[in-house]
Amino acid sequence: MDFSGQIASLLNASAILPEAIVIVTLLLVLIIDLIFGRKSVPWLPYFAIAGLLASVIALFYGWDNPNPTSFLGSFTSDNLSIVFRGTVALSTAITILLSIAYIENTGTSLAEFVGILLTATLGGMLLCGASELVMIFVSLEMLSISSYLLTGYMKRDPRSNEAALKYLLIGAASSAIFLYGSSLLYGLSGGVTNINTITATLQAGEGLESLGLAIALVFMVAGIAFKISAVPFHQWTPDVYEGSPTPVVAFLSVGSKAAGFAIAIRLFVTAFASVTEEWHFIFTALAILSMVLGNVVALAQTSMKRMLAYSSIGQAGFVMIGLVADTQAGYSSMIFYLFIYLFMNLGAFACIILFALRTGTDKISDYAGLYQKDPLLTLGLSLCLLSLGGIPPLAGFFGKIYIFWAGWQAGLYGLVLVALITSVISIYYYIRVVKMMVVKEPYEMSDIVKKYPPVRWNMPGMRPIQVGLVFLLIATSLLGILSNPVVTIANKSVSSSLVLKASLEARINNISATEIKTVL
Amino acid sequence: MDIQLEYFLILAAALFCIGIFGLVTSRNAVRVLMSIELLLNAVNLNLMGFSNYLDPGEIKGQVFAVFVITIAAAEAAVGLAIILAIYRNRDTIDMERFNLLKW
Amino acid sequence: MLNLLLILPIIGAIIISLLPSEKESNLNKNIALIFSSFSFIITCLIALNFDYNNGNFQYQTFLSWLPFLGLNYTVGIDGLSLPLIILNGLIVTLAIYNGETKQNAVNKPKLYYILILLLTTCVNGALIAQNLLLFFLFYEIKLVPIYLLISIWGRDKRNYAAIKYLLYTAFSGIFVLTAFLGLNFLTDGNSFDFDKITTQVLPQAKQILLLLTIVIGFAIKIPIFPLHTWLPDAYTEASTPVSMLLGGIISKLGTYGLIRFGLQLFPDVWGDISPYLAILAVITAIYGSLIAISQTDIKKMIAYASLAHINFVVLATAAGTPLSILGAICQMFAHGLIVTLLFHLVGIIEEKTGTRELSKLHGLMNPYRGLPFVGGLMILAVMASAGIPGMVGFVGEFLSFQGSFSVFPVYTLICLIATGLTAVYFVILLNRVFFGKMENKTGYLPKVQHFEHLPAVILAVIIIFFGLQPSLLTNLSLTTSNSIALLSN
Repeated sequence: MDFSGQIASLLNASAILPEAIVIVTLLLVLIIDLIFGRKSVPWLPYFAIAGLLASVIALFYGWDNPNPTSFLGSFTSDNLSIVFRGTVALSTAITILLSIAYIENTGTSLAEFVGILLTATLGGMLLCGASELVMIFVSLEMLSISSYLLTGYMKRDPRSNEAALKYLLIGAASSAIFLYGSSLLYGLSGGVTNINTITATLQAGEGLESLGLAIALVFMVAGIAFKISAVPFHQWTPDVYEGSPTPVVAFLSVGSKAAGFAIAIRLFVTAFASVTEEWHFIFTALAILSMVLGNVVALAQTSMKRMLAYSSIGQAGFVMIGLVADTQAGYSSMIFYLFIYLFMNLGAFACIILFALRTGTDKISDYAGLYQKDPLLTLGLSLCLLSLGGIPPLAGFFGKIYIFWAGWQAGLYGLVLVALITSVISIYYYIRVVKMMVVKEPYEMSDIVKKYPPVRWNMPGMRPIQVGLVFLLIATSLLGILSNPVVTIANKSVSSSLVLKASLEARINNISATEIKTVL
Repeated sequence: MDIQLEYFLILAAALFCIGIFGLVTSRNAVRVLMSIELLLNAVNLNLMGFSNYLDPGEIKGQVFAVFVITIAAAEAAVGLAIILAIYRNRDTIDMERFNLLKW
Repeated sequence: MLNLLLILPIIGAIIISLLPSEKESNLNKNIALIFSSFSFIITCLIALNFDYNNGNFQYQTFLSWLPFLGLNYTVGIDGLSLPLIILNGLIVTLAIYNGETKQNAVNKPKLYYILILLLTTCVNGALIAQNLLLFFLFYEIKLVPIYLLISIWGRDKRNYAAIKYLLYTAFSGIFVLTAFLGLNFLTDGNSFDFDKITTQVLPQAKQILLLLTIVIGFAIKIPIFPLHTWLPDAYTEASTPVSMLLGGIISKLGTYGLIRFGLQLFPDVWGDISPYLAILAVITAIYGSLIAISQTDIKKMIAYASLAHINFVVLATAAGTPLSILGAICQMFAHGLIVTLLFHLVGIIEEKTGTRELSKLHGLMNPYRGLPFVGGLMILAVMASAGIPGMVGFVGEFLSFQGSFSVFPVYTLICLIATGLTAVYFVILLNRVFFGKMENKTGYLPKVQHFEHLPAVILAVIIIFFGLQPSLLTNLSLTTSNSIALLSN
């Protein structure tokens, strides 16, 4: 075998074909923008979307890759990562669709926005498959730094600046803490950075070593909990959601969060397999705190974006149930829920963007009486919010019930009960918005809605939002009822993932061992 | 005489704590950014120490440290850019006065 | 056939939503009416073709839906759900018809009729679902339409009432879901299908725990004291047709669930819980009747009366004998008809006189200036409610009490007192509102047009018909009630 062939087989570079497509798209977007300037703007975003969709198709063809490990073990392109990478790419594609009118309205450069967004996507996609500490760190930072830039994209707007600064400082600090944890992990394992092999070398010793491992665990949880905005690492969320441009929030709430959950699964299941009980405990606490605090504080919000920020904290709590369950059903319910969350949350944000474009505000009280003026927007926002609240037959109901089912099956009765109760609370604040829009009589209409411009879809940039919104609404309404194929894919991705398989089997053996013990 | 690995770790931990302290107490945004650099340097020390003592063959820790330094630079660049933007808009970089967003 | 019951209203709702304008109120209404009466006709056809000697589920459809959840589209009908489905078809049709005049024309008619049609589907779905999760799905969907129906077309305090209703019902849903999840895992079942779940394999303590959760869930819905506080608000603040729906059919979902998922799933431990349930039912019945006596608002009075009467069903269910279950089913049917009629009449009175206060209403029987025909119907409704023989109310109450007496003699007797109290508050109502001298300043009340009291006349005819021919009603459920109850003994 010649040398280059050997290298190629070691690198197995074809595994990152989807990412390569995104990179090429990104470079082309930048170059085209340089050459043609503003003239290229009208079709540039569609080019980016095409690139992302091509990447999704490439992911689809990478399904059931017989040799998922690539780049000497830094990146694993197994089915689990494919599902998450697909979610991230899809969320970006839809976000671009929603952002065209918004960005043009503010007079900033669309091409640069798309470029940074694609970089963030790239980071997120790489993070989903990263299986080596350096790789995790680099892709995490790629996602984070691009997110800071996106958050501060409206550079003339002090609110956007402030959100970006807060996000950057808290984010950088949390990634430094994460890094400290990974350096400890590197040391404790005696110089291994690949998380698949790290467990074998981590001695399950007593005293200092287990203390070190516990510290590493806590530090790394802090880093990841920041990304998925779990309480108490959530303080940035409401500020960033309120201050930054709405399309960015849409991406952060879905794409960035999905990547965070992907790495959470991979990291904790593999590297921290010897302290399974500990990380289960930590995530149980995080889940309860997130569900309670997120959903309760959301009750008091007056700004739509802030309310959705707290709601997204609560939703992250629900998803963590799947992680804590640590079973086949648990993981596939997580994937299923995140996939559904993509559509319903982006749908809600699409409506908010649309409303903000027409009126320039996002206060909840300004939505009063919207039903009279814009039934489509009202219907869309109502469907998405009710779906987030878990009202059947919308997608969110099935997602939630699957997570609860999985959690209950894993014996997490307390956690599921907390989730059930907090989801009733969440119904209350979601339906408050629906009530505001639908129930108010014409004379109770807010001044903003009274001056609501006539609904026109033929203005520049409106068509894509309309297309995106309709697509998201259809997905939100039907994805739950027709969820069988999606769940089959999620299940398959979990069961075929070597990483999870080993962990699940170990757990089953463990359980049967303890059962035997109790019998004896 | 040998310098034990523990000394490096303790130094790194001390540096890390100083960084955290600076992070919590600083009012000036640039100082907060500097504190974060301290945190990252503590991590670098850790990595170098581990790499020398435990992994002298593959020195993955040193490679890791190079990546960390690079990314820290990128982060600082973005951070300073954002601070610059906020200074233009608000004429201040005092953390306590960034209070447009709160609940 | 059964699937049509779910699909037809949805098709109606879609057609209405596609109508171009909001203004054609009549068009919206007529389409809704066509679809609801179609589904009513279908229920009648089902009843005609129903095999009365078969206690099992009939008209079954099974479609695998979401196997990963154990959620299948399994529907079927038996003698327990059949009368309620007929009731639902009838009441929804009448509520949609509910003589709409120029003054009380519905605003936002499009949304209104869409919501009512959706509600029909949910109720039908919940009644025919033979899969626990499917039932829960329909049980939860109806939350939003009812919430909106109360909070958009209600009276002054509608927001408060609607939110209260929403929260109570949502918590009821949580209890039910928790119990269903528990049922599925404790019994190691991989499916939520009703006929595949048996609780007998469980240890007694777990069975009791699950049953308790289910009972609490449905007790909120029925409601049983002390979980009833949403009821007076919701019933009074809702507009007339919505009250008709709430009191007539939605409340039956609670008692239906209690029989189907309480008694029928937990025959072994039902006896352990039923005495407490019976006590609570008796307390609620007496409490409801006493509070009803002290009311000054006639709609509130009827709300409390309905609270008292629905708890006769709970008592009969708790007893669990073949006769009492039959009585419970008949009482549900009778209660639905009577409460709907009462709310409808109160709606007419309120519309014509502009008030529901007992103190302001006098002598409406006045043949020239009053509402004599409404008065006559009201007397009939009240008699039916009090259980006068010859009306359907008598059938239900007699069978319930007769059946329960062997198990809970004391409680049954106390409930009989509650029936006596019914007479008290309704006599007060009749006396104040319809008899006596009509004050001159009230002037001439607007005449009630024939189309306005058409629903009342239909209901009255049905009430008398089944009162005189009770065997037609009891035949519907005789076999089923026997099979349900036998499990219990």
